Amino acid sequence: MKKTLLATACLALGAYSQTSLADLSVAIAGPMTGQYASVGDQIRRGAELAIADINARGGVLGEKLKLEVGDDACDPKQAVSVANTMVNKNIVFMHGHWCSSSTIPASEVYNEADIPMATVSTNPQVTERGLNNIFRIMGRDDQQGLVAGGYIADHFKGKKVAVVDDKSAYGKGLADEMAKAVEAKGVKPTLRESITAGEKDYSGLVTKLKQAGVEVMAYGGYHTEVALILRQAQAAGLKLTVMSGDTMTNSELVTAAGPAADNVLFTFSPDPRKNPDAAPVVEKFRAAKVEPEGYVLYAYAALQLFEQAANGARSTKYADLEKALRNGSFKTVIGDLSFDAKGDQKAPGFVVYRWQGGQYDYAR
Amino acid sequence: MSTVVFAAHGMTPAERLRDAGWIAFVAFILGVPLIGLTTVDVGGRLAVNTRFGLLAAAVAVAFGGRLALRWAFDRLAARKASRQRAGSAISRTQTIANVLGWIALGAAVALPIAFSDNRYVVDTATTVLIYVMLGWGLNVVVGLAGLLDLGYVAFYAVGAYAYALLSTQYGWSFWEALPVAGAIAAGFGILLGYPILRLRGDYLAIVTLGFGEIIRVILVNWTEFSGGPNGIGSIPRPSFFGLAFTRSAPEGGHSFASFFGLEFSAMHRLIFLYYLILVLALLTHAFVSRLRKLPVGRAWEALREDEIACKAMGMNTTHIKLSAFAIGAMLGGFAGVFFAARQGFVSPESFVFTESAIILAIVVLGGMGSQMGVVLAATLLVLIPEFGRNFAEYRMLLFGLAMVLIMVWRPGGLLAHREPTLRLAKAAGGEQ
Amino acid sequence: MAYALQQLINGLTLGAMYGLIAIGYTMVYGIIGMINFAHGDIFMVSAFIAVTAFTLLAAADVTSIPLALTFVLIVALFFTSAYGWAVERTAYRPLRGSTRLAPLISAIGMSIFLQNAVQLTQGARVKPIPPVIEGGVQLWSTPAFTVQIGWSQLLIIVTTVVLMIAFTWMITQTPFGRQQRACEQDRTMAALLGVNVDRTISLTFMLGAALAAVAGVMVTVYYGVVDFFIGFLAGIKAFTAAVLGGIGSLPGAMLGGLLIGLIESFWAAYLWAEYKDVATFGILCLVLMLRPSGLLGRPEVEKV
Repeated sequence: MKKTLLATACLALGAYSQTSLADLSVAIAGPMTGQYASVGDQIRRGAELAIADINARGGVLGEKLKLEVGDDACDPKQAVSVANTMVNKNIVFMHGHWCSSSTIPASEVYNEADIPMATVSTNPQVTERGLNNIFRIMGRDDQQGLVAGGYIADHFKGKKVAVVDDKSAYGKGLADEMAKAVEAKGVKPTLRESITAGEKDYSGLVTKLKQAGVEVMAYGGYHTEVALILRQAQAAGLKLTVMSGDTMTNSELVTAAGPAADNVLFTFSPDPRKNPDAAPVVEKFRAAKVEPEGYVLYAYAALQLFEQAANGARSTKYADLEKALRNGSFKTVIGDLSFDAKGDQKAPGFVVYRWQGGQYDYAR
Repeated sequence: MSTVVFAAHGMTPAERLRDAGWIAFVAFILGVPLIGLTTVDVGGRLAVNTRFGLLAAAVAVAFGGRLALRWAFDRLAARKASRQRAGSAISRTQTIANVLGWIALGAAVALPIAFSDNRYVVDTATTVLIYVMLGWGLNVVVGLAGLLDLGYVAFYAVGAYAYALLSTQYGWSFWEALPVAGAIAAGFGILLGYPILRLRGDYLAIVTLGFGEIIRVILVNWTEFSGGPNGIGSIPRPSFFGLAFTRSAPEGGHSFASFFGLEFSAMHRLIFLYYLILVLALLTHAFVSRLRKLPVGRAWEALREDEIACKAMGMNTTHIKLSAFAIGAMLGGFAGVFFAARQGFVSPESFVFTESAIILAIVVLGGMGSQMGVVLAATLLVLIPEFGRNFAEYRMLLFGLAMVLIMVWRPGGLLAHREPTLRLAKAAGGEQ
Repeated sequence: MAYALQQLINGLTLGAMYGLIAIGYTMVYGIIGMINFAHGDIFMVSAFIAVTAFTLLAAADVTSIPLALTFVLIVALFFTSAYGWAVERTAYRPLRGSTRLAPLISAIGMSIFLQNAVQLTQGARVKPIPPVIEGGVQLWSTPAFTVQIGWSQLLIIVTTVVLMIAFTWMITQTPFGRQQRACEQDRTMAALLGVNVDRTISLTFMLGAALAAVAGVMVTVYYGVVDFFIGFLAGIKAFTAAVLGGIGSLPGAMLGGLLIGLIESFWAAYLWAEYKDVATFGILCLVLMLRPSGLLGRPEVEKV
């Protein structure tokens, strides 16, 4: 037992130290398996191409980059385990995690081990805890909710609005912010509901919305549930428009909801694919048969961020990197990035998008 | 009449082939819908892809695997039959368990010294010890008292949240909160135990499962109290007799590193946490072993063996059951406090049903009622998915498979023995 | 009122599905006294088989809905029964006659295995199919609210009633039913009287799996979206239903399923949707406190 543990641990240690000697290790972490595995896939594809491109340019400070991939399945406990594994692999930079509930506990491990991280988690708590190794290359739920709620109040005047969330850290945070923003504009939500993510039957919710005459649902949560709600609303003869957040960028929504997906509005940062500077990279992704949707370009940008910061600081030591990231301005495929004292992105714009015929584009 | 019968006579090659062929056929039938065919997303619609090559490979593996396995089993059975076992099997397992116990203890104490710069190993070993402690706690309820509990994680959650709230809201230290949280968890144990005293077997199982879910759903939804899905963060870490594990010493005081004149390292805290849980686990072990020798422990085991006989002997089954629930819950609560202190963050996602299932699996795989078995099973169940990390997506598959195989291989658990706590003296036995 | 009627329909549909899965739990429990934790995942496997079959049909341009449904049902029944058989044979039969908990752990392991096997071979993404049966009938229209029952909801309720009748007939009237009940009462005695116990148990597993297969096809038709995680949630609810009705009793499983469906619907409709699981389990605890063997369960006779 313990002896086997020791023996096997020795083996594992041997395996790890071999891999981490030669190159500079950088890591990504996210839900590579589990319910949100398709997002993990986006992150990995984005990071893999970024590493290939950076290495083709000669690497960072003359050293080739090596990518480590961590799978937390959006489970906070696994996230901490992944974080410890990564610390052991002597990584110098982390892009992740994805779920806010994973990023928060994992970031404390990285913080202790002096590893800078760039994350796309949107929960305000991520940067509110005074950890100075976190840099958020995405907006925050409170900013996101403000834009989404404002859009609802402006564009759906006189219609009844329901605010629904899936009780996850991300979903509830976003829904609360949307509710606040709508109320600030004088619209009182007709219903405030929560659902359990992972279930299949939302006919109860749909009936409730129908009874209340709700036409617009502000939803905080993930795309799989939105698809089911839309499908069941359609079957029940309820025409529903959904407003939600950045998780709706996943094309799985369209596959699952079918044509009903055209009623989905969501907020996301300005589409990086429309950024002229990103055009060559977008081309490259498409040539590799990867549509650079959702988080693909964010993962690419996170590694660009590291490359530029390390080259700028002429070092991969934590103190130097942290200073470079905090003070510098970086040109990436998702636009120019610079950070405030908390580590939040300085100019995070959010725009409202709409799905239309299997593509998403700015909503008019 | 039913278990896999290992043929006593040697099988002819034709029989072997036919047997393997049958298995391959079954593998083919099972494989067609999941391996042979798969649906893929093509531009918003599904299309069916065929993977007959993979299917053929799977069938071939099933065929070859069965042949090899059969052969190995036959050889093993033949060897077993030809070898006469010496000595009593029970006392032998017992001695082995004892020896292994001391070796394990030695290894456990030495581990952080050998791996003082390896965060991953120390951290994983800490996780193993948390599960060992949980397993020992549940062992009281399931292994000793024979009450099937599928919601044990609820007490773990109660302990974790109790410490999280006491420390973040009222500034209690780890050592102050530990006994209080244990008491709260024990209270919940009695609360759960009381209404379901009449239930038996699997009815008990489903109610405990429901209780676990109720606690989790309340934690998720009662945001004002528990922080809801966000959980509670920034939980203070335990200190070493008042010395905190921080980089810089507090005003006019000392941190652990500055007091001992060491250079700060995050490993100090990890190693401290490791020894802390080791001590907690050893205390649990001593406590439970002691209890087994006291009347209450005897009563638990009597209850497990025959409830009606217990009643007939005039024992108060209500008190016996409630004491088992309360003590099991308290130990779970202690483990919860430690978990919260180590993670620095608790959220309802850590306390799902799967967690209860894994703790129960540790108790059963280890051999019900066997303390050493729990250690062995906890080590296995934590390490399988960890080593599986190299196999990425296969790791949970292997985990499930291992659970089935270990159970089929040793239905009584890895260290199965039902050691009578009390032996009748041979001389006084009379007609034995 | 109209709103309540609509929620009643939703609840009945959901309850019928829980009931179908619960029968599988109850039959297995009745005959070998174990909780088959992998049953929910058998249901999930059948839903995936149904998705593949529907997609194949769509590719073959089959447009007749009754034909498509029959084909999918047959395919799902066949393969899912095979899975039911294989699970019993590999994970439970070697453990027969050992402690009560050993098969339970083996079942939990099997459940984890099946979930991950499907995730690996079929992918983690949700699998959607286009709506198979669309539309429904409007039952009642008030200015404020139109009560509507979808054809697929009707199909689920009718299928469940028909299967329930067929099963009750089979268990009470046919030789297999007699053998099955004989094994339930006393396996050794049944074996002595010439009942092939192993075969009866295998068949019971296959029948339970077949019912799960029907439920899987229905879920695929009704919701149109499946993923590898549906088995777990449905399994827990169906298991609760089986216990609520009195585990081991077929009508009990159906009753328990319907009750749970209705409790969930109405609790979510009038009270706090987020606490509906608390309500389900709370009512279960209350019922068991008053009737320790469930609603229709026979009180256990304790032999000394």
